[in-house]
Amino acid sequence: MWVKQLDAAQGMEGLKSLPGNPDLIFIFGETGSLQSSSLPGQLAKRFPDSIQLGCSTGTVIDHVKLSDEGLSIIAVGFKHTRIALHVHPLPDIAHSRETGEALGKLLAAPDLAGSFILSEGLGVNGSALVQGLQNILGNDAVISGGLAGDGARFEQTLVTVNGKPVSKVAAALGFYGEAIHISHGSAGGWDEFGPKRRVTKSEGSVLFELDGKPALDLYESYLGDEAAELPASGLLYPLKIWNEKNPQDQFVRTILAVDRDTKSITLAGDIPEGWNARLMRGSFDHLIDGASEAAQHAHTKLNEKGIQAELCLFVSCVGRRLLMGQSTEDEVEAVADIIGHNTPIIGYYSYGEIAPHNISKVCGLHNQTVTLTLFAEAA
Amino acid sequence: MTEKQDLPPLLARQVGKATLPDGALDARKLLGLVAAAYEENERDRRRADRANDLMAQELEDALTAIELQNMRFKAALDNMTQGVCLFDKAARMAVCNRRFQEIYGLSDADCKSGNNLIALLLASQTLKQADDMDRRLLINEHIEMDEDTSCALEQQWPDGRQITIHRNSIADGGFLDTIADVTESRKASAQIAHLARHDALTDLPNRLLLRERMQEVVRNALRDERCAIMCLDLDRFKLVNDTLGHPVGDALLVAVSERLTSLVRSNDVIARLGGDEFAIIQQHVRKQTEPAQLARRIIKELAKPYVIEGHKVQIGTSIGIEIVNVAELNPDEALRNADLALYEAKAQGRGTFCVYSSEMHDNATQRRELETDLRDALTQGQFVVHYQPQLDIRENSINGFEALVRWEHPTKGTIAPNNFIPVCEELGLIDELGKFVMQTACTDATQWPENINIAVNLSPLQFRSGNLPDIVKGAIALSGIPASRLELEITESVMLEDVASVLEQLRSIKRLNCQVSLDDFGTGYSSLSYIRNFPFDRIKIDQSFVKDLGDNPDSLAIIRAVAGLCGSLGIKSTAEGVETLDQLDILTREHCDSAQGYLFSRPVPVEEVHALIYPDGLPKQAKPKGKAA
Repeated sequence: MWVKQLDAAQGMEGLKSLPGNPDLIFIFGETGSLQSSSLPGQLAKRFPDSIQLGCSTGTVIDHVKLSDEGLSIIAVGFKHTRIALHVHPLPDIAHSRETGEALGKLLAAPDLAGSFILSEGLGVNGSALVQGLQNILGNDAVISGGLAGDGARFEQTLVTVNGKPVSKVAAALGFYGEAIHISHGSAGGWDEFGPKRRVTKSEGSVLFELDGKPALDLYESYLGDEAAELPASGLLYPLKIWNEKNPQDQFVRTILAVDRDTKSITLAGDIPEGWNARLMRGSFDHLIDGASEAAQHAHTKLNEKGIQAELCLFVSCVGRRLLMGQSTEDEVEAVADIIGHNTPIIGYYSYGEIAPHNISKVCGLHNQTVTLTLFAEAA
Repeated sequence: MTEKQDLPPLLARQVGKATLPDGALDARKLLGLVAAAYEENERDRRRADRANDLMAQELEDALTAIELQNMRFKAALDNMTQGVCLFDKAARMAVCNRRFQEIYGLSDADCKSGNNLIALLLASQTLKQADDMDRRLLINEHIEMDEDTSCALEQQWPDGRQITIHRNSIADGGFLDTIADVTESRKASAQIAHLARHDALTDLPNRLLLRERMQEVVRNALRDERCAIMCLDLDRFKLVNDTLGHPVGDALLVAVSERLTSLVRSNDVIARLGGDEFAIIQQHVRKQTEPAQLARRIIKELAKPYVIEGHKVQIGTSIGIEIVNVAELNPDEALRNADLALYEAKAQGRGTFCVYSSEMHDNATQRRELETDLRDALTQGQFVVHYQPQLDIRENSINGFEALVRWEHPTKGTIAPNNFIPVCEELGLIDELGKFVMQTACTDATQWPENINIAVNLSPLQFRSGNLPDIVKGAIALSGIPASRLELEITESVMLEDVASVLEQLRSIKRLNCQVSLDDFGTGYSSLSYIRNFPFDRIKIDQSFVKDLGDNPDSLAIIRAVAGLCGSLGIKSTAEGVETLDQLDILTREHCDSAQGYLFSRPVPVEEVHALIYPDGLPKQAKPKGKAA
């Protein structure tokens, strides 16, 4: 397995240093750049046999640097691993589960080692999408990935597939064979605060009421002036939700949209009625500790096998980016400090992360986390 | 200048970003980045402040809401009629209400949360009123209640109150005691239970309690032990009620119950079954004669006069007795048997007692059959009227017939009136039967000569409805017979009914121009006041006097006196039961007006009447007939 980060600024020039034709190219780009750049198309033309996958975002991660513009590209070649890309339409939020199930069927194979999912980031119920995949592949399936992002704009998200940016789709990349080793780490580092609340009215991923009061009112009072920037500013206060009857069921949910008429907020995943909820907020230090924790977990998993990660896919929540500003790079640094600065990192700031939870084998949709997927190939 | 690697990471990155490709530092760009970082930090601090303020406010609001809730909760608790006290899992008091303090007599200081139950109970001023032993017992009972399950306890407290303690375990491992003062409720329940089992007037046990007592007797039976069950009925009680009013009747019942109580042993049971009926369980009967002795004493004592509200009242008692082996006592059966014996005692003329025997049961069975048959008889036309002639002694000719009802039973043959009239009276069939006889007799008599009267007997009970005159009028109208030919015979027992009403009806009947006779004279009270109070047309001398003529000089004297009295008062006299010519001779000498008896004819069906009136096809004197009925 070889991995080569490409400098998008150099265009096709950077390809000269590649050790061979890549099997896989990841491209993450600021939404506008992704739409306007000709580079993905040229790459597809240049390497017609390689698979190209990526998505839109507000901020790309290119090793330890963040950038709110341009593209981040990495090329990967495998020696012993077969890969396959499947794309399925995701016309609206109601089709999330169905799309997940369709992709699950396409991915399914006895030697499936893991899969990486990138999906439309706004018109999707991420929980349902993952549930759909698990319905086919089983709850233990190794699934990670994320929802496409659009920075603080929340206007349009894209998935780029073989040189073309497309909307309203979900894509799944399958890794097959015994040579590929994949490990994960996912953590938030957010702090709970304020009183415990109860979800008194909700429907799927739309939250109407907490403790009998409109959910939007609560957010508006906590955001003050910044309420004008909803839904983006809502990311400053994620919601931890958990099922009191089964405390293992706990998630961090973040806001994707608000509806001022119904005073409801749409979250990136389900929020079941009757569950408990508590607001969260981040301090720079704790968020960075969260990133370290995720890295430590993923790193340890490979290290136990005596394997060094050869690629790190870094999917982090746009909320972290909005909160930490320039300090956001600290979390990428923290990850690099643990997995090693020689391991290439590529990634983006998302509207939702998909990964097995650290304390559970069950895969799910997460919000406000750093979610890492480490790859290594060993015969 | 400090080396880049010694800088804080953020500043180092900022320096990196502000370093131009030629290695020179773009100071403006660096300042911009640093200023932005300060602004980001400032914004973050403002967010934290705002969040802290809001959170504090939310917590404050929640606290206020909880305080309000607590206040309401306390108000609700303190206004409960029950005392409640909540204990935590270490059995320390968490909260109690005012009522709990009141019931136990505890001060606020006693009820500090954290106190355990023993401390509370020891501090209770109410429990301190008990002596040491009782107090310890009450406290122990309470503290020994199970803390893990629901249970209840009822205590009688030193101040006389009845207290219930309910304990319910609660989810967090503690328990809740609910204390209720049930004194009044228990009193009321006891009262209700007493009322349900006692007669309200006399406070004697009622039928229900009597039955329970009988069951108790059975449960506690010793080997071969016997007991007597008695049923008592007061004779002439109804008369007291009707003439002196119900308050006097009620007072009489109370007086009777007191006398009864004084006559029995303490472990015997007296019950009032209703009206003037009482029952007694006489326990531990060793000799067969003991119940009879008690019955005699009762009959004697109850017959002694009572003075009630200034009235001197005298009544009698009839008693039926069932003597049984206690082990075999069946309450229903024993009462039924005693009742049958009572029926027999009353039939024997009241003021006496009878011990149950199995024939009584047979008789009762027969009687039930009779009742059924009687009802059928009326609807199926099994009653017929026979006629017995009355002879005008001076004229030596028939001057009337007495109508006598017979029951032609489809299987038992002809049944005489004394075997079914009393039952008809009891069953309330007498009005219908009486009406039938009167109607038939009047109709039949229209076929006879004008000078021959028809006599119809009236039962005292026919006067009760008050419409007897209408029935008489109806029979006359329907048959077309002249009212003067209809004689209505009553016995003096009619006067034992509501005298005023009877006299009123008799006068109405007289106004119709009917005649009224006094039947069976000489057998009962034979009070001359009856004769004075009502203008009877005829007095019929009872056949017992006629039968004794020649044997008993008293009978002759009585007949002479009655005939003389009648002569003086202008009332006709008729002698009944004339069977011999000698008797007829005497009656003729004594100036009796009429005679009736087998000497002339037994009662005959209507078809044979003509032959009696016209033995030779012409109206001649009646000839003596055979004696066979």
